[in-house]
Amino acid sequence: MRRLVDAPRWALNLFAAAALVYLFMPLGWIVWFSFNEPVGDVNLVWQEFTLDNWRGAFRASAYRDAFVESIRVAALSTAIATLLGSMIAIALARYRFRGAAGLNLLLVLPLTAPEIVMGSSLATLFLDNAEIIKRGFVTVVIAHVMFQISFVAMTVRARVRGFDWTLEQAAQDLGATPMRTFWRVTFPLVLPGIMAAALLSFALSIDDYIITLFNRGSLQTFPIYIDGAFRREFPPQVNVLASLILLASISLMLIGVLRATGKASRS
Amino acid sequence: MPKHPPSRRLTRRHFLGAAGALGAGGLALPSFLGGRLAGATTPRSTPPAQGEGGSLWFDNWPEYIDLTEDGYVGTVDRFMQATGIDMTYTEVISDNNEYFAQIQPVLGRGDTIDADIIAPTSWMAGRLISLDWVDQLPLEDVPNAANLRADLVNPAWDPTGEYSLPWQTGFAGIAYNIEHTGRELTSTEDLFDPEFAGRVGMLTEMRDTIGLLALAEGIDISTLSSFDEAAPAFERLQKAKDSGQVRAFTGNEYIVDLEAGNFAACIGWSGDVAAINVDNPNIRFVIPEEGGTSWADTMLMPKGAMHREEAAQWMDFVYEPENAALITAYVWFVSPVDGIRDHVAEIDPELAENALVFPDDETLSRVHTFAHLDEDVEAEFDAAFSEIAGA
Amino acid sequence: MPAATVAPPPQASGLSQRADLVGLGALGVAAAVLVLVGTGAVSGAAAVVALSILLAAVVGLVVVAVAGGAEARRRLAPYGLLKPGMLWLALFFFTPLVTLLKQSLSTLPSRFAVEAEFDWNFGNYSTAFSSFGAQFQRGFGYAAVATVLCIAIGYPLAYVIAFRAGRWRNLLLGLVVVPFFTSFLIRTIAWRSLLGDSGPVLAWLERLHLTGPLEAIGLLDNGRILNTQWSVIGGLTYNFVPFMVLPIYVSLEKVNVALVDAAKDLYSGSVRAFRKVVVPLSLPGVFAGTLLTFIPAAGDFINARYLGGPNNTMIGNSIQDQFLVQNNLPVAAAMSFVLMAIITAAVVVYTKYLGTEDLT
Repeated sequence: MRRLVDAPRWALNLFAAAALVYLFMPLGWIVWFSFNEPVGDVNLVWQEFTLDNWRGAFRASAYRDAFVESIRVAALSTAIATLLGSMIAIALARYRFRGAAGLNLLLVLPLTAPEIVMGSSLATLFLDNAEIIKRGFVTVVIAHVMFQISFVAMTVRARVRGFDWTLEQAAQDLGATPMRTFWRVTFPLVLPGIMAAALLSFALSIDDYIITLFNRGSLQTFPIYIDGAFRREFPPQVNVLASLILLASISLMLIGVLRATGKASRS
Repeated sequence: MPKHPPSRRLTRRHFLGAAGALGAGGLALPSFLGGRLAGATTPRSTPPAQGEGGSLWFDNWPEYIDLTEDGYVGTVDRFMQATGIDMTYTEVISDNNEYFAQIQPVLGRGDTIDADIIAPTSWMAGRLISLDWVDQLPLEDVPNAANLRADLVNPAWDPTGEYSLPWQTGFAGIAYNIEHTGRELTSTEDLFDPEFAGRVGMLTEMRDTIGLLALAEGIDISTLSSFDEAAPAFERLQKAKDSGQVRAFTGNEYIVDLEAGNFAACIGWSGDVAAINVDNPNIRFVIPEEGGTSWADTMLMPKGAMHREEAAQWMDFVYEPENAALITAYVWFVSPVDGIRDHVAEIDPELAENALVFPDDETLSRVHTFAHLDEDVEAEFDAAFSEIAGA
Repeated sequence: MPAATVAPPPQASGLSQRADLVGLGALGVAAAVLVLVGTGAVSGAAAVVALSILLAAVVGLVVVAVAGGAEARRRLAPYGLLKPGMLWLALFFFTPLVTLLKQSLSTLPSRFAVEAEFDWNFGNYSTAFSSFGAQFQRGFGYAAVATVLCIAIGYPLAYVIAFRAGRWRNLLLGLVVVPFFTSFLIRTIAWRSLLGDSGPVLAWLERLHLTGPLEAIGLLDNGRILNTQWSVIGGLTYNFVPFMVLPIYVSLEKVNVALVDAAKDLYSGSVRAFRKVVVPLSLPGVFAGTLLTFIPAAGDFINARYLGGPNNTMIGNSIQDQFLVQNNLPVAAAMSFVLMAIITAAVVVYTKYLGTEDLT
């Protein structure tokens, strides 16, 4: 029954690998150029190899500070949005209730609204209520959650749809309380969707420019800072920072995977 | 502040060295600043306690001032030490329209923004002055304002001269990569040369693009008062875009495009090319025969700004020729302050000879300032330009 | 083992009917109050009253849940889950949206005025329709092509990660998203270098002698990639691949591999098994991914600005321009609503096409 040459299988894997290469092409360029010794302030033409940029990698800089701010905003907004969005997704996919269709549509609306007008309208809302809230960290988080919720809800809903809810019923028949059922049965099965949604919204928040621009007060996030800075320069330090970010994220994930498989092999 | 690679600011290396050498044992300042700055050995000075000398907030463009690093004390820190004023210097202006969108909701409602001084480009300054969203400058407390270059006194955007004081100035002309053009360029017509089809860039800055094109049509841009007068320039631009002559409309990115060869030639700014020319001598700048435009980023005080005394001290400080020279030696734009050439020569002799930073009279005679447009006329210009530039 | 169902006690059905309405009503009232207060339609003492109504609605919901018994709780559960998220959206999305709607029907007394006068000015909408047809077309066109490309790239990738990655799947999934932790500006600058006239992509195409054929089919324009429509589409595709991969992955991942193997045996061929079994199960993911890609892409402006030429602008650029450069918020608002309406209509049609059960 086994085919001698599993051509489609091999081809598909190759295609997937090519897709990953495609995703990492710009990053490869970025990392490569972090080893460049540019002639001027603009690190875009290869000159010569150097390790100098990496030697001073951990020195404090405005780029790093702005990035840290972005992380703080992203962490908080992702946490809130993942919670709220997942709840919405579970509600929409698990239950049949009045108004579900309409709410589905309403959920799509934040995705359709152009960022610039949403950003400025939200800013107007905050300005009109300047006694209650001043534009800054909090307003940026609020704004980010606003557009992240829809992304989370739709991603988690894709997971939850077609879910076998009789599993829950079975658990309850076996005597589990609804709470326990949720944590032991439902949640672990939905978790991949929630993690994926969290990843996506984290990326969204780190990358946001326009909505942040209008609602930031004097907060400097990474995209805001580099938009200004890049009009004058593109120093190799940026490449180093980006490479460090990559390195850190991949390492974290690698550790996570190795620990998980370690646990699995032990259990 | 990211460490600066040695050669964009090739002069800075010399500059830091020269500035450092002038003091004994680490006093990193030129001696002519005298005794005002005792004990200025630490690169990062701690500002005095709040309230001792007042405070000041200045919103400016990025890379527009010499900051403290590597043993050199920058202008802001020296100012703080000299006056005891606690100064906040932020580099938040990256685009005039984006900055306007941020301050409009506040100033338009009659509220005050955080900044005491802001430095938008001259046309935006003209708009803010027309809207009465700025206060008069405390020029009576700025004796060094007398050092202002003659051609910048009572400019088009501020006819009474009471509301603005230029920070840095520059020119727009033709920037090109001689490797890709194969020859020197001298005229705006060169941008329309079929040889460069699809490799010509223009600026998203309306006044520089239309300015150069209008001058090539023989129109005097300093007296423009209606859209019809400039219509030929718009038509020319439309044709060039439709035929594919123009590859893209850019902001500062044109420098990259010139280096990479995406552009053979484009409209560009003097300061950018001056900086890159040190590293890549193939990239040149020329004020075309028909004429170029001159612009300024200029200091204004938004309405309701509280720290007028401190602002006056700052303006006086940066208009002191020695201080202006230090700033120029870093930013490489054309200083609005007169008579700094000798001071710059002490710091960086090569820079003092740089025609893009110290233009001669012949060059100055070929640049014109775009007229200040009325609100309605400006709207017509902006709408027509956006239609062509792609929006 | 069949799931045992508990027949609801007779009198509870009446309450459960009402519980439904109570839940929806409470949600609706709470949201409405937030929008009214947020837009300033009610203020001062009236606002205090409105906010008390909001509080009452929330409390009432809880009371009914507690008092109504298990059936009522089950009925009210979705509303309870929806409440926090929906109320957040009510205050921070719908409120600004209503304000924006008012703006779209207003006229500015002067170009830089901060307050527009609400005067049912539908002229903004006619401007939006008439002056920006080409940009709308390009916006939807580029976004559609990019979405299709994202599916072509993303589906196989998601499939491999879901079924063939084993314990490395989380790492691979992370690898898909990690590039996006560096800022879009850095990625776009990287692409500009890669796609530029002296960049490696063109160099390789020339080396492989592909430039001729590619030029013939229109993918290259005079030997250039940068500043053409294809570099814009390329940029859009690149930016949205994770938004396609992740939803497809999450819906594929819960497919039982044993099921797929059984299907392969049943349909005597993996391609048919794939078509008949895997594809339908992955549809929710494709659906979500399509929406999460097409919708933001249609309104995008960044890629066209940095990677496109003056003839490649999308509707997002026009809205950006109307707002920032022309300072014409009413027209920008009208254009935004036209964009939103068209997209929403497309979503409704698409949803119906995929089957009505996908709507809930």
